[in-house]
Amino acid sequence: MIQTVNLQKLFATEEVETTALNGINMDVKDGEFVAIMGPSGCGKSTLLNILGLLDNPSEGEYNFYGTAVAKMTERQRAQLRKGSIGFVFQSFNLIDELTVYENVELPLLYLKTPADERKIRVEEALSRMNIMHRRNHFPQQLSGGQQQRTAIARAVVAKPKLILADEPTGNLDSVNGEEVMKLLGELNDEGTTIIMVTHSPYDAGFAHRIVNLFDGKVVTENFHV
Amino acid sequence: MFRNYLKIAWRSLAKNKLFSGINVFGLALGMACGLVIGLWVSDALSYDRFLPDAERIHFVRVNFQNPVTGEIATNWVTPGPLQEVIAQHIPEVAAVTKINYGPELLIKPVGRSAAEKSGKEKGHYATDDFFGVFDLPALAGNPKVALAQTNQIVITRTVAENYFTRSGSDYRQALGKTLQLDNDKFYVVGAIIENLPSTSTLQFGWLVNWKVQQQDWMKKWGNNSFQTFVRLQPNVTLEQAEKAMKIIYPRFAGKNFDIGRPTLQPITDLHLYADYKNGKAVGGRIEYVRIFSLVALFILLIACINFINLATARSAMRAKEVGVRKVVGALRSSLIGQFLGESVLTSLLAICLALLMVALALPTFNTTFGKRLTLDLTNPVLWLGIAGLVLITGFLSGSYPALFLSGLQPVRILKGTGLAIQMQVGNGRSAASPALFRQTLVVFQFSLSIFLIAGMLAVGQQMDYLRTKNLGLDRENVIYVPLEGALNAGNKTETFRQEVMRQPSVAAATTASDLPLNIQSSSGDLEWPGKLPTTESNVSTLEVGGDFIRTMNIKLLDGRDFRTAGLADSASYIINEATARMMNMKAPVGQEVKFWRGKGRIVGLMKDFHLKSLHEAISPLIMMYNPLENGYLLVKTRAGQTQQAIADLERLTKQFNPNYPFSYHFVDEAYEQLYKTEQQVNTLVNSFGMLAILISCLGLFGLAAFTAEQRTKEIGVRKVLGASVTNIIGLLSKDFLKLVMIALILATPLAWLALSKWLSSFEYSTGLSWWVFALSGLMAIGIAMLTVSFQSIKAALMNPVKSLRSE
Repeated sequence: MIQTVNLQKLFATEEVETTALNGINMDVKDGEFVAIMGPSGCGKSTLLNILGLLDNPSEGEYNFYGTAVAKMTERQRAQLRKGSIGFVFQSFNLIDELTVYENVELPLLYLKTPADERKIRVEEALSRMNIMHRRNHFPQQLSGGQQQRTAIARAVVAKPKLILADEPTGNLDSVNGEEVMKLLGELNDEGTTIIMVTHSPYDAGFAHRIVNLFDGKVVTENFHV
Repeated sequence: MFRNYLKIAWRSLAKNKLFSGINVFGLALGMACGLVIGLWVSDALSYDRFLPDAERIHFVRVNFQNPVTGEIATNWVTPGPLQEVIAQHIPEVAAVTKINYGPELLIKPVGRSAAEKSGKEKGHYATDDFFGVFDLPALAGNPKVALAQTNQIVITRTVAENYFTRSGSDYRQALGKTLQLDNDKFYVVGAIIENLPSTSTLQFGWLVNWKVQQQDWMKKWGNNSFQTFVRLQPNVTLEQAEKAMKIIYPRFAGKNFDIGRPTLQPITDLHLYADYKNGKAVGGRIEYVRIFSLVALFILLIACINFINLATARSAMRAKEVGVRKVVGALRSSLIGQFLGESVLTSLLAICLALLMVALALPTFNTTFGKRLTLDLTNPVLWLGIAGLVLITGFLSGSYPALFLSGLQPVRILKGTGLAIQMQVGNGRSAASPALFRQTLVVFQFSLSIFLIAGMLAVGQQMDYLRTKNLGLDRENVIYVPLEGALNAGNKTETFRQEVMRQPSVAAATTASDLPLNIQSSSGDLEWPGKLPTTESNVSTLEVGGDFIRTMNIKLLDGRDFRTAGLADSASYIINEATARMMNMKAPVGQEVKFWRGKGRIVGLMKDFHLKSLHEAISPLIMMYNPLENGYLLVKTRAGQTQQAIADLERLTKQFNPNYPFSYHFVDEAYEQLYKTEQQVNTLVNSFGMLAILISCLGLFGLAAFTAEQRTKEIGVRKVLGASVTNIIGLLSKDFLKLVMIALILATPLAWLALSKWLSSFEYSTGLSWWVFALSGLMAIGIAMLTVSFQSIKAALMNPVKSLRSE
């Protein structure tokens, strides 16, 4: 259960001050699939970063599964984030020096999951994403679709309550993009909450609800049934 | 998790071969330096600590305070009676011994079983209680008992092995055998002791009872010639013993010498603190220990700076990893751990290479410095040192990159814009960026390098000065031959000298009791009319044969050289200007003085020449004529006929003195020996200076490569817009040269201070020239330029189409 109240975010450089978010009120229920849309620069990614506990809002409140997190330090946020949120990025963000298997294993290492359990869960995630046969390859040796499936495997391996996806199909062709969206849909069907930023109306069609942002404000919300 | 770190560390090392190579090689060089210097320092610090109860053993020096000036002069040689008085009157002392200077004498084994070998070994005449002071381990016989006998000799294992055993047989066979010393007296081997380790200040092959060579002059308080050692009673402190010894000179030495005060130096300090000023140990080798420890630290620091610079410069490449790790749950602390782990791994690799380098370099180092340092891998202390070196280097070089990288914000990195990363990594144009930090480190690195180059140049300059300085006497083409056996027996010495003079290859020849470049013996016995009881009267003494002044080409200011005919000059004296000044005599020739030969006249006044190393001022000297027994024959050869002269000398020596092997040396070599330490310092400073520069340049090379890589696009755009190759090279080199210039400005005053201090340890030194600093700056700039321009030219020559397309 996620709730934001009057969320504000300002970016200040020496010369200019930019308002990225301007009073966002948003509720996301358990098991929901929400798509956030809007033109470039409207604050989609900033919102996602705050929802993902990577950044703090300048003002406003954020309630993350019963915890007020808006004023938390980075260290506290990191502790809370660990194991409870999975991230999927447009540019995959896999570590080049690690193999597919090792990339997926990483969250479990930071959770100090015992080795035998780690092995079971990594293999489970890899099979699920149909990337098991590439387990010993390095990211550069994979296609974009394979890289993104690896990234999704990494996002789900710790069984988080929430997955945040930032334009997950943005760097993929339509076939691979379709596949990734189906995987996210399946995860949502199994009960994982998903918040996704996208430019693609097609991708947004997989969501239960679309939140449209413009100049840092929520302008419309459309519900699918 | 640890395995994961290790994997990443290893893979990123392997992926960036150039940068990893620079890091590992640079660190290895730094560590190898650290290890070699560490071995050398621990060797220097361990001198005489092998002795049982070393903390109770002390070396006796004597302070003489000038009643007028208040200055204290400290003698390291003591008069003969001191030991006897200490033994009888100072209950705080458990044992006391004195030894003579330690001549190298001919050893010849006698008897059927002896391997028929003879040779020279250094040894001492020592008083009975030598082994009461130095409890050296006996291998056979009882050294204490043996030394107490005047017909026995104590030898070391090596001497026993060399002269008394055939290959493979037991050295103990030497016990009870007879040997002849100096072709003169016979001794029975009464005891064999273990060899002295190389970290022993005393080095000898044999010991014989003092009484054998005792002469009347050795019983005088005015003659300082012997080294005295004491072992204190348990629980007696150095201060208590010194206090007890205060009474010795006033009570026993007589009115001329009653101002002497014995002072004790722990034997473990003897090797490190040889220089005394105002009665206190002020320095000696310890200064070099300090200097080189500092140099090792500098070089290690320079290598660590390379690591820091390359790591932070390349952080853009690691930034994504940091972001991802943070997103999937890494805490900052675990990232710090990871990056520190990587730097420790790098230093582990480096130490392996460093150990290899040390193993290869040690033989050369040992030959150059006359040391026996080894990389003893069974020594736990060495491993402790190695572990310490790895950890310190790892943490020193890893801490800043670790703190910096782990602090990167994932939000900005993972969006994947190059600019966002650039902002964090720094491009050198905004203040307080990591780039500024890098530049600061480069400045620091080059300051150290320039400091070392200036050191190299100045030390070299001083060494040249020493080599070429006019000492007031000739040292070139002068050979000396130690007078021993039949050459040192009564009239034969003069006959031999006359015969040598008759050789066409010889220009002149003389004899002397000491080498004239290093006159050790001194006396306070000189009396002259008008001398006040408070006047300092310490003079160096030299006994010479005929033609001394001519052979050594010393300038005679007034009077004449000694006459060789008859006994006319047996009570005549020749002095130098310093003595005349001391006696306050304007025209000393013809004046009557009293010295060892009784009342006599001064017959000659010499221009001052250097009696000792240039560390010391020219002191007063008095010379006496002695055509009979003496220490050395000095031969000035005719130009270009040195080889012939040596052959002639060998023939004559064999004829006059068939029982001794012929040996000769050059005076200028002996002169260079006086500056052995400085020569070694010169070599060390040179090697370390070069290393520092090399390592700094490695780092600069890496940074330049990185900058060129980072600015590929900029260079491409500039070229498209019409920039020439020269423009680009200038653009890329300018920034680095600026840093080296700043380093020059910072390093010059510091180097000036340090080098002035070093030069002031010489009584005579070349001044510090401005060009030393100008040249070091130029060299640093030149070397930096070469290093940077390689990368700059490469970048400038690149086809802009390539670099722009790749963006």
